[in-house]
Amino acid sequence: MRRQALMGLVVVAALVGCAAEQKAGGGASGAAGSDGVTATTIKVGGVLTKTSASGYSTKDAEIGARARFERANAEGGVNGRTIEFVGAEDDNQDAAKGDAAAKKLVQKDQVFAVVPVHAPNFGGAVFLEGAKVPWFGWATGPQWCGTTTGFGYNGCLAPKPGAGSQTWWGNQLADLAGGAQGKTVYVQTTDSSGSKYGGTTISQSFQAAGFKLVGVNSGLPAAAPPPDWLPYVNKIMRSDGGAAPDVVVSIIAGTKFNTGLYSALKKAGYKGILTDATSYDAAILKDPATAQALEGVVAAPMFEPFESTAPEVARLRADVEKVAPGTTLTQHLAIGYWSADIFLKVLEKTGKDLTRESFLRTANSGFTYENPGFGRIEYPKDHTEPNGCGALVKLVGGAFQVAENMKCFDNVPLK
Amino acid sequence: MSELLGYVLSGLVTGAVFAVMASGLTLSYAATGVFNFAHGAVGFLTALVYYELTAAFGWPTWAAAVAAVAVFAPGLGYALHRAMFRGLAQAGETAQIVGTIGLTIALPALGLWVIELSGGLLAAADATALPRGLGPYPPVTVEIGGVGLDSAQIMTFCLAALAAAGLWAFLRHTVYGLRMRASVDRRRLATLRGIDADASSALAWMLGSTLAGLAGVLAVPTLGLDATAFTVMLFVSATAAVFGRLTSIPVTFAAGLGLGVVQNLVAGYADFAENVTGLRTAVPVLLLFAGLVLLNRSRERVAGSASEDAPPPDHLAARPAWRRRAPWVAATVALLAWTFLADGYYAGIAAQGLVLALIFCSFVVVTGIGGMVNLAQASFAAMAALTCGWAFSSGLPLVAAILAGVLAATAAGVLVALPALRLGGRVLTLATLALALLADQVLFQIDAFSNGTIGWPLPALGFGFADTTDPRVRVVLLLALIGVIGLLVRNLERSASGRAILAVRSAPAAATTSGISAPRTKILLFALASMIAGLGGVLFATFKGSITATDLPAFAGFVWLAVVVLQGVRRIGGAVIAGIVAAAVPEILSSLDISAHVGAILFGTGGVILAKHPDGVLAQLADLRHRARAALARRHTPGGERPGGEQPPGERAPRPRPTVVRSPGEAPASVRSPGEAPASVRSPSDAPTSVRSPGKVPASVRSPGDAPAPKATGHVEAPVFALESVVAGYGEVTVLRGVDLVVWPGEVVALLGANGAGKSTACAVAAGDLPVTAGRVRLGGVDVTAWPAHRRARQGVLLAPEGRGVFPGLTVEENLRTWLTDPAPVYDRLPQLAARRTVAAGALSGGEQQLLTIAPALVRPPRVLVADEPSLGLAPLVVEQIFALFAELRDRGVALLLVEEKAAETLRVADRVAFMRLGRITWTGPRAEVDPDRLTAAYLGVS
Repeated sequence: MRRQALMGLVVVAALVGCAAEQKAGGGASGAAGSDGVTATTIKVGGVLTKTSASGYSTKDAEIGARARFERANAEGGVNGRTIEFVGAEDDNQDAAKGDAAAKKLVQKDQVFAVVPVHAPNFGGAVFLEGAKVPWFGWATGPQWCGTTTGFGYNGCLAPKPGAGSQTWWGNQLADLAGGAQGKTVYVQTTDSSGSKYGGTTISQSFQAAGFKLVGVNSGLPAAAPPPDWLPYVNKIMRSDGGAAPDVVVSIIAGTKFNTGLYSALKKAGYKGILTDATSYDAAILKDPATAQALEGVVAAPMFEPFESTAPEVARLRADVEKVAPGTTLTQHLAIGYWSADIFLKVLEKTGKDLTRESFLRTANSGFTYENPGFGRIEYPKDHTEPNGCGALVKLVGGAFQVAENMKCFDNVPLK
Repeated sequence: MSELLGYVLSGLVTGAVFAVMASGLTLSYAATGVFNFAHGAVGFLTALVYYELTAAFGWPTWAAAVAAVAVFAPGLGYALHRAMFRGLAQAGETAQIVGTIGLTIALPALGLWVIELSGGLLAAADATALPRGLGPYPPVTVEIGGVGLDSAQIMTFCLAALAAAGLWAFLRHTVYGLRMRASVDRRRLATLRGIDADASSALAWMLGSTLAGLAGVLAVPTLGLDATAFTVMLFVSATAAVFGRLTSIPVTFAAGLGLGVVQNLVAGYADFAENVTGLRTAVPVLLLFAGLVLLNRSRERVAGSASEDAPPPDHLAARPAWRRRAPWVAATVALLAWTFLADGYYAGIAAQGLVLALIFCSFVVVTGIGGMVNLAQASFAAMAALTCGWAFSSGLPLVAAILAGVLAATAAGVLVALPALRLGGRVLTLATLALALLADQVLFQIDAFSNGTIGWPLPALGFGFADTTDPRVRVVLLLALIGVIGLLVRNLERSASGRAILAVRSAPAAATTSGISAPRTKILLFALASMIAGLGGVLFATFKGSITATDLPAFAGFVWLAVVVLQGVRRIGGAVIAGIVAAAVPEILSSLDISAHVGAILFGTGGVILAKHPDGVLAQLADLRHRARAALARRHTPGGERPGGEQPPGERAPRPRPTVVRSPGEAPASVRSPGEAPASVRSPSDAPTSVRSPGKVPASVRSPGDAPAPKATGHVEAPVFALESVVAGYGEVTVLRGVDLVVWPGEVVALLGANGAGKSTACAVAAGDLPVTAGRVRLGGVDVTAWPAHRRARQGVLLAPEGRGVFPGLTVEENLRTWLTDPAPVYDRLPQLAARRTVAAGALSGGEQQLLTIAPALVRPPRVLVADEPSLGLAPLVVEQIFALFAELRDRGVALLLVEEKAAETLRVADRVAFMRLGRITWTGPRAEVDPDRLTAAYLGVS
């Protein structure tokens, strides 16, 4: 049930019209007057899935964003204004609560923009678009795409058919595997429309890179991990004309799902490459069995890995250490950090005369920004397609290593 | 072939976990009548404790498992029994369902909150928590019959098998198991045999929780600490339990195993289902639905037994209409004023609350009026909203799209009502649950219908001068709509259809024979309720500006139900308050910076309140105020109608008598206007289940003059058993109007009288089965009035009830063991029973059953044996044998009270005779003084 919303994390989707066609409906009763900007401050708050019934949590994004804002403030703010970060609301992975949280931030707390938004089932999109309030975060869901106010830090990850769809994952993996020629790939998703759509885009990414697709299976129950993996593993092990495929891509969020699948595959004698988008998480390595199940897995983060030697990553580390010493760096933290980073960049470009209108005008008229931390972003283009950048890390001997550094590839139109 | 074998073998392992969980579900339901929706949550909480013990305290897995499963889980079961289940067992079905659903929300939240509060002392239970299983870690793989199974799987299967064997042995071969089964079989009779049915229930809950905990600990390595996953597992287990018809543990267990295999086979072979998203996920739900419809046709309640659902008294009934409505009008005006004064944000929250209130009104129709619990209400709302979005996006004008949405929900409601025609009570609830899950997992997954994960955009509703982007417009619109629905509901209640609904609800069989079409009224209710829910759903979507398939998940419907029932589901006012509460509480909590878990706990613990006040907060408040006012009124009229009269004024809270003795779930007295002297009325206790603790008996029981001395008839010692000025009855009907009766040891007293004289009531009072309104019951000089039935039985009062006093589902041997530790002497004395010792008592002839009823008394003679119509329906030869046994008992010093309608045989053994008429003893005297005139007078009422 809720898990299917989670699937949005990985790739996500909408088949038909994005929110662009939506008429203002969400109650754009935005309190006129104050929009969170004073002569010296800019008020900002976020919406995260801090707690949820499934245990999924993006709460670290708050630390990331705070770390980035603190540095900006320490450097004297942006155009003379400091960022007043009021923290992040929790949407419990409930669309209605996300909507309420967005309204609270805008109407009651009167923030200028909602940063970071990192909630797979975010329900405040229509309201924010109607009220013309900018929001920044991880655009995993279709509610982001085609808006003028929703800024995914790496673009819209749920493009419509015809719009650009990423190829970096397939290309990076081909690079890692020493070429894709003659290699086969099998894509495993769950039985929900979001995850199935993810299967389509990822299959396309690997095919664009030259892999041969031997199977897309969406038989996994969506609500909870199957208690028994045997039937699914049997299918995978025979997909390449009776043999196992070279690469298995898992489009499933949730450590329990992935460790279950990988353990079962290894038990069945699978020796090929395993790759997914969510396993890059140092916290889960504390558990030896999980570490063992994930050993050798190639994870695909959409930012420069923490193990990288890039100076931007070193600065991220230092910024975080300043606001929350001893914090383990996670995917969610990086997303919060880079979302805040892009927001600050737009603020800087907008200049001293800051209103929501001027901010959005700046952002949506040919704004480009490159940073080795997340690649490159271009608005308004990336309102409708992903930025096409990503990295690979590999778990070797219980520790992640950078397998491929952040790199951008050309998108191809989504079929 | 080996592939198939592999699927079957490893499917059995999965199935074993379902089986353990389902067995617990069946056990607790069979033993207590409460279907525990929180069974999965108990499993989750136990797994959480297990995880914390291993992760935060570093215990070895086996020790943590023992502590969690064998200590924590039963402890939790006991605590829940004390706090909730005991009360719920006597509350109506609605309260039971809602109470346990509340727990489903509250228990996981409680666990997670404690972890949150511990501030890092306990290990975080989020997605990064990876609980490990029992046994070697990481698991070792073993090859069995060509199939690779790992040590964790083998361990799981062995533990499940062990649990099954243990459960079987416990139920079949221990005295506790026997008592529990006896309580399940005939609860009332069990208490008459000295079995503390309440203790049996506690035991059943502890066992059930242990099984849930075991399943939880076994499943947690695969499921992770995901409360939702555990709830899903509960639904699968419920399927197994339904296949066991919620009564048979072995069948449930087998069905659980089978489900694991079926899931594997579907995953392995049903590739054709791939094109329908969600279909394979929904296999257990489909089976659940099939099982419900095919196997569980409700055995309809008999006429009159629905009193458990009687409405609470309307204390304001006598007030003028304006006075009754004044608070609501004032509240509405206040809300409106606040809406227009507060800023847009708060007005938005009020509007959100009222949208929910509108949806909640549908619960008033289907549950409050119809008495049916529908868990699919959120699905109706979602269905309407999605249809509306789809229709609008296809080019229909908004108003037409809204109509289409409402019609779609109405149609869905009628479809749901169709199975409801055949199902009743919990089975219906489970069926609506299955439908809700199906809608979520299959219907809403169809992209053409729900437009994938993005859903449909919807414009604001315009009225020319204003549109609904302004929350104030929304508030006014919603208040108007709720007002219209309020009128509709009131008219419905007062119309012929309303009376038909009430008739069907309280006595389906009687209603049918009176020519009322139960199916028609049920369909009407469902259609109306889903129409309201649909309208609410559509407005929810328009106000939000868009609708997606996940905006109104099935689970939201459960929470809603809990909130509404907690406020009071019988009136629109309850729904409105519930809507406001549902919207405002999260807001208040977050502004106070309180964890969201606390909100879940608060909503959930409403169940505890329901266990005590099944009619919700509104009714409870009304009741409290009524009591206070009554108390005040009494204080102002000194020497007035004070029950008992001798309590000094100012002693703590003198309450009107009827409420003093009302226990939860009992039907309250009917409409009475305040100020009117409370009639000496008491509700029918749900006799067999009512367990009163000593001391709870009304203070008003008194007898200033103390026991009226019985006319001495040559007896030197005191009577062993005495009823003194006993007044008792059912509800408003007083049956015994001051009965005095004594029995001496070694004496047979025959209590004779015509049908309806109150003889059986006298028996029930004697055995403690029915509480008295006034008067005393003494056993050997001790006042036992306050003792519950099982305690009196243990002290030697044995009642052989009217009909047959046997447990039909237990064997002859087991029946005897409920009263005797060793039944061997009975077999020596009554060889015909020895020959049938392994036969279920229900299969015996009537005479054998009556022998079986009396036989235990021969071996372990009670002090008092009360036999209610022992000769009823028996052949003359058998009657003779039975009376011979009575004579034998008398000679052994037992005091016998024989209650008979037919005088002839009884008079032959009786020493003394009492005639009863219209609730009074009209004559008592030695048998010798009984002559035909007296008999005629006793039976024909000629005096």
